[in-house]
Amino acid sequence: MIVVATNLTYFLAWGFLDPRNNYVGRRPPLSEDQVVQLLQPRNLSDTVSLLERWWNWFSGVIFRWDWGVSPVGQSVNDQVAYRMWVSAELVLGATILATVLGIALGVYTASRQYKIADRIGQATSIITMNINIVVAALGIVLLAIGFNNMVGTTVFFVTGSASPDVTGFFPIIIDALQHLILPTVALVIIGYAGTHFLQRSLLLDNINADYVRTARAKGLTKGQAIRKHALRTSLIPVATQVAFTIPTVFMGAILTESIFGWNGMGRYFLETIAKNDIHGTVAIAAFGAVLTAIGALLADIAVVVLDPRVRVS
Amino acid sequence: MPRNSIQPAVGPETTAIRLPRKRMSKWELYSRRFRRNRPAVAGLVIFAVLVLFAVVAPLLARYDHIELDFLNLGEPPSGEHWLGTTSAGNDTFAQVAIGLQRSLMIAVAVSVGTTVISAVVGTAAAYFSGMFERLTLLLIHFLMVVPTFLLLAMFSNDSGGDWRTISLIMILIGWFFPARVIWTMALSLREREYVHAARYMGVPGMKIVLRHMLPNIGSLLVINFTLGVVAAVMIETGLSFLGFGVKIPDVSLGSLIGSGANTITSAPWLFYFPAAALTLLTVSMALVADGLRDAFDPTSAAGGRA
Repeated sequence: MIVVATNLTYFLAWGFLDPRNNYVGRRPPLSEDQVVQLLQPRNLSDTVSLLERWWNWFSGVIFRWDWGVSPVGQSVNDQVAYRMWVSAELVLGATILATVLGIALGVYTASRQYKIADRIGQATSIITMNINIVVAALGIVLLAIGFNNMVGTTVFFVTGSASPDVTGFFPIIIDALQHLILPTVALVIIGYAGTHFLQRSLLLDNINADYVRTARAKGLTKGQAIRKHALRTSLIPVATQVAFTIPTVFMGAILTESIFGWNGMGRYFLETIAKNDIHGTVAIAAFGAVLTAIGALLADIAVVVLDPRVRVS
Repeated sequence: MPRNSIQPAVGPETTAIRLPRKRMSKWELYSRRFRRNRPAVAGLVIFAVLVLFAVVAPLLARYDHIELDFLNLGEPPSGEHWLGTTSAGNDTFAQVAIGLQRSLMIAVAVSVGTTVISAVVGTAAAYFSGMFERLTLLLIHFLMVVPTFLLLAMFSNDSGGDWRTISLIMILIGWFFPARVIWTMALSLREREYVHAARYMGVPGMKIVLRHMLPNIGSLLVINFTLGVVAAVMIETGLSFLGFGVKIPDVSLGSLIGSGANTITSAPWLFYFPAAALTLLTVSMALVADGLRDAFDPTSAAGGRA
């Protein structure tokens, strides 16, 4: 599936992006031959037939794990290898935080169904879930700038993923956190509510089940019974859902990264399309497909860990 | 399903009044159940106000959204320009109204399209089963792996920013996920007696799908439609914000926020107003969807008398 999808993207990308356009309007204008000479060694020239270009690219990927080069000659492998971790820093942290917060809120509100805390939690979540990520991120930027001005020093950085001139172990960590905190908060704000609603409704289905009553009858407190018995059952679908949202969070990070100026995969995505970088675009598509597959795998693992009825053979 | 057989709560003081009254019709029941959900009603009101604003405001505005006022460049809100002007002299009030209109048109078009396609494909796959079902599912699963946002960005970047093309692409890329959900729902429908009965009476297959199966997942479709509006607004905003969507001189909420983001400290009103319109739009639609779900769900325990 991944292979087919990636190859399809390769052909689609050729349909919509033309590296030749990068040389239109250059001063002094490049002649036809010069353009071909620039593009041909990079396997991006449309003088070669599409099938041959495809085979050059595909065989490079299969035999040498070489994903090609951009129209200016940068290796796609290098770009992805570096940017992947920048994005992962953001996406992983945000996913974990959003999941923990969502589950905690779900448990808290489900055990207080229709009380004031539940109503407030529900109302907040339905609003935050439907705030657009762009609005949330920019709102946070405004708040952070206001806070920085109030305190008088730069506590939160609103652009970039790290400052270039920081040395030493602890300063680097603190610097990274100062950059990381705002985009993570933006992603968490819009991401936690989905988990919250799912966890709440699933736990409500389980909270009045017979086995929870049995646990209570054996002398567990309500909190213990919920945590040890009801929660475990209702966590299974939540884990599945969270694992499958990883690609979605990643795509949400495109907007966050471009707002906060992070040089991650999201930024790369925008650049490749703007610069007609076909190989880069295809690599991102493959990366997205791999993430989906990893998500599916993680979902299966989570089910095996949580559900004692599922045995791995 | 005979929905109107649901009785109102019977109490000693209510039975006497209830006897002569006409039975409640299905729609009366739904609207009552919807109205007791206050946030949903609030959402509907907000949504109606927004639609009204999008339709009426361009008529009221003193300036056209592409007209440039060179005497007022980058001015904060004033009596002359109610929501201020951009650095090029565009009137923000007119821009927000037109942008809202554009975003709404895209969202409704996309949501109608995806709902119709996904409903027909999903139920048809469940009804016809066999080869057709397997092929459809294969296609759906394949499309789930394809990075759709990337395709969307490439297509709409290529389309030159025409909102009709963008909507069409969004429909083509958005139909398969709801189709899978509807397929799962329709699986149990195809085993129902009335479907068997229709089949043995010789009703053609497509007619069974359209006349017998679809109406029975109608409530799901209505909810899907409202949620689809929210999703379409979100995606369209993202695209336009990145510059892949609607292009100048046409504006949408996304492109307005995108241009407002550059001047967020010096001219925050360019961000505030479109952002507020966008948030109100998505939140109100989500509240409506929530209320509809409660209204259509016969087992809903949201409290109160139906």
